[in-house]
Amino acid sequence: MDELELLKKDWQANSKQTDQHISSEAIYPMMHKKSSSIVKTLFYISIAELVFWLILNLYPYFASEKYRQDLEMMYGNSTTLIVLTLISIIVIIVFVYLLYKAHKSISVTDNAKKLMESILKTRKIIKYYVVFNLVMAFVTITMGMYFTMNYNPEVSTQFAHMSSKQMFISMLIMTVGVAIFLLVFWLFYRLIYGILLKRLNRNYKELKKLEV
Amino acid sequence: MNKELENNFVELLEKHQNIVHKVCRLYTNNQDAHNDLFQEITIQLWKAYPKFRGDAKFSTWMYRVGLNTAITLYRKSKRTIKTQEFESVSFKIKSVEYDDTEEQQLKLLYKAVHQLNDIEKALVLLYLEDKNYSEISETLGISEVNARVKMNRVKKKLRTILNP
Repeated sequence: MDELELLKKDWQANSKQTDQHISSEAIYPMMHKKSSSIVKTLFYISIAELVFWLILNLYPYFASEKYRQDLEMMYGNSTTLIVLTLISIIVIIVFVYLLYKAHKSISVTDNAKKLMESILKTRKIIKYYVVFNLVMAFVTITMGMYFTMNYNPEVSTQFAHMSSKQMFISMLIMTVGVAIFLLVFWLFYRLIYGILLKRLNRNYKELKKLEV
Repeated sequence: MNKELENNFVELLEKHQNIVHKVCRLYTNNQDAHNDLFQEITIQLWKAYPKFRGDAKFSTWMYRVGLNTAITLYRKSKRTIKTQEFESVSFKIKSVEYDDTEEQQLKLLYKAVHQLNDIEKALVLLYLEDKNYSEISETLGISEVNARVKMNRVKKKLRTILNP
């Protein structure tokens, strides 16, 4: 007899009985407990990302007058800062909309592959948002450094004593430093999502493999 | 959500809970993990229930939500990693009609099924429930031909596990 047929016979013979019946009284509280599914976790992570970058982007506007002045001085003129902040706000609004749509499209009653795709799509939106913010952070920090060196009277005097080679090396070191810092940040993200979606990714690959 | 909807749901779940237990049995290795998964499937079923139209059979709908939770949504807690606990809880239902050899064979079979990956387990579960390939393909989102091919591979894999 085919192994699975034997198993099926046993499985179906036992299909009506269960050794651990859960009463309706016990089901009621179970229904209302908090879910610990990856969709829920992904949702909390996206909210956290949103709040984190929102605070970071809007910080200059709520910071002290002196800090704002310093920033304006650093950027040479306030237009650059306003443009960068405006871009960030627009991106945040677009991101919130896309994320809302993506979360709404996740349905546990879809077929397994579609469900996995919806979750991965949500994760992708968060990924793009994080990449955008990291690129923006890189741009603003390097721009900030450039303006500080050229327009901040204290710093520019110090740099004035340097030869152009020394100046180039110190700028290179700072830029590479910022890039490494952001890269570590990115790897940290990858790790969080990697752990969270490990099982899903593995199962999705398995389903995809079937179609090759 | 109104009380009537809640009562209907509880009544249906209580009646068909064996389906959820079966999914839990295949995807977990110990009682704690079983309870955890049962809990999560219940939450997901309840969340999706208002959209349940009744055009599908409740049991079929439960399989879909249960399997989706097990293979996609569920995050294994640390305690589920202890696979050695498998023996003590595995399949407690004992059949009286089988002789010792057959029972022994069944035990090995269940153990072999536990060694399959999540998707393979889903295929086995649907197969054991006598679902046809069209239903299997619809639940997993793969083509019928692929479901058939994969099922044959799973059978082969089980044979290899049983007779190394």
